[in-house]
Amino acid sequence: MVRLEFRRDRILLRWGEQKYEWVIEPRYWRNPAIGVFLLAIIPLFILPYPNILTMLTSANLYAAIAIPLGLQMIGTARVNFGPQLYLGLGGYTSALLNLHLGWSPIPTLGATILVCAAVALLLSPTTFIAKGLYFSLITLILPLTFLDVTFLYGDIFRGEVGLVGMSPLFNFGKVKWNYLGYFYFSLLLMLLYLFVSDKISRSRFGVTLAAINENEDVARMMGVDVTKYKVFYYVFPSILTGIVAWFIVHTFRTFAGITYLPLDFMIKILIIVIIGGRAFVYGAVPGAYLIAVVEDSLRGLGPINYFVFPLVLIGAILILPRGEGLWGLYHKRHHRDYFPTLHVRR
Amino acid sequence: MLEVRDVTKHFGGLCAVNEVSFSVKEGAVVGLIGPNGAGKTTLLNLICGIYKPDAGTIRFAEKDITGMPSNRICRLGVSRTYQIPQPFYAMTTLTGVAVSVIHGKKRPHMSLSDAILEASYYLEFVGLFSKRDTLARELTIYELRMLELARALATTPKLLLLDEVMAGLNPAESSKALEMIWNAQEQFDITILWIEHIMKIIMNAAQQIVVLHYGQKIAEGTPQEIANDAKVIEAYLGGQYAQSGRP
Repeated sequence: MVRLEFRRDRILLRWGEQKYEWVIEPRYWRNPAIGVFLLAIIPLFILPYPNILTMLTSANLYAAIAIPLGLQMIGTARVNFGPQLYLGLGGYTSALLNLHLGWSPIPTLGATILVCAAVALLLSPTTFIAKGLYFSLITLILPLTFLDVTFLYGDIFRGEVGLVGMSPLFNFGKVKWNYLGYFYFSLLLMLLYLFVSDKISRSRFGVTLAAINENEDVARMMGVDVTKYKVFYYVFPSILTGIVAWFIVHTFRTFAGITYLPLDFMIKILIIVIIGGRAFVYGAVPGAYLIAVVEDSLRGLGPINYFVFPLVLIGAILILPRGEGLWGLYHKRHHRDYFPTLHVRR
Repeated sequence: MLEVRDVTKHFGGLCAVNEVSFSVKEGAVVGLIGPNGAGKTTLLNLICGIYKPDAGTIRFAEKDITGMPSNRICRLGVSRTYQIPQPFYAMTTLTGVAVSVIHGKKRPHMSLSDAILEASYYLEFVGLFSKRDTLARELTIYELRMLELARALATTPKLLLLDEVMAGLNPAESSKALEMIWNAQEQFDITILWIEHIMKIIMNAAQQIVVLHYGQKIAEGTPQEIANDAKVIEAYLGGQYAQSGRP
């Protein structure tokens, strides 16, 4: 006879002489495996609804763009208003190479990484030359300029229509299984980015990152080679963003600059970072899921969506704890954790 | 150990430091005094690489450090505290000091746990170990000054630049801080270049004093020589006092 007992901090399951217990004390909820498990089983419930599955795939991709952006914002101590520049660069690189030179997805991935790294390296001096608003303005202009270029050279970039028909990353034969594949692949990409960012922020590099974010002049006076770190934290997240574009090209098999390069897409990503929690790497995940769900739910409202969506976002920014967002609600009693929590006993 | 030769720094039309020269011997405590706006902090900023001098040279431990970036100067063994404490407000005191431990010296293979152990030693030294998990923004002015000292010591400096470390402290805290500085000098074998406005303290602490006024060096010598120097008296109290000989 199975007996279930609910206690204040745990659930007990008795089966004859056997006893199983599951501790539900809030501090045990912080186990990331629970979050990964929940995300992994979602498709089992929504398999018959491909539109929801696509929405969640978009949420994963939004998070995969927002996670490196969060890392970049902390590491360079600057707000980048144009992370989608690398989305455009990466997407067009892999799409053009695939379409015109017949490169398969693996070589296009290499080319995407190289192109994004080269451009980011070229632009990285802006992180220490331009401060505050100037850096934001420079980064804001670049993707918009690139968008103009895609229209100007419409014969190469196909302007508003974009490039279509790139070779797929995988094909399971059935559309439903392909959608499922896209979801899991995007989830994998997002979790990989989360894992890498988490590892960085919990290491000695995370401590340095936090110091630069707090006061780069003082950090420099304490021996931190701020320039070197800034270049790295500008180039590395840019490459990660480029890889997301490569994924989009080889899964959705269509890529148009007009979708990813304009201002509204960038604002969406920035809002994900802010709503999720600017000070937390993990914040991008709930932020991205919230934005994707709200955006999809409001789409049915028609043109009024253009007013309601920003209002919902402004409301969320006002209500949520400043700088700590959704993740801050969850992690309320702890310090900002973009640097590791260090403990030492006497 | 430190040699400053004809260093000049202009900010637009203002000459903040004008052909200042002096040297600091190893193990010495040298005071840098002068009225407000004399260019003391600018000179400190020039030594530690925050500003580049327009003219002149700065040598530290036989190396030319003129215009070198602050992080490289720090790794050579120069560390500083700030007139207005500049802690990492959103970081715990332990984490803040750990940054100095990791980067103050070239330690590419030092793990974070080793760094925090060493950081905890410096916190213990300045008496802030019990505040290791406290955010810097929650500290009192005395604790902030001590945190700055711990952070500076954690870079294992040979030369420590103290910028008005006693400002804002009450007499009891000042004497505690002074004792802490003596302990640090004795234990870590460091040379100190110290900007201070509290004459009672700097006159007792320093073996040599450099006086700046309007960016120029007007006197250099032992505390006794400085106390009787007419130019110094004039700079601090006005020409009337210098002529009457009443310091």
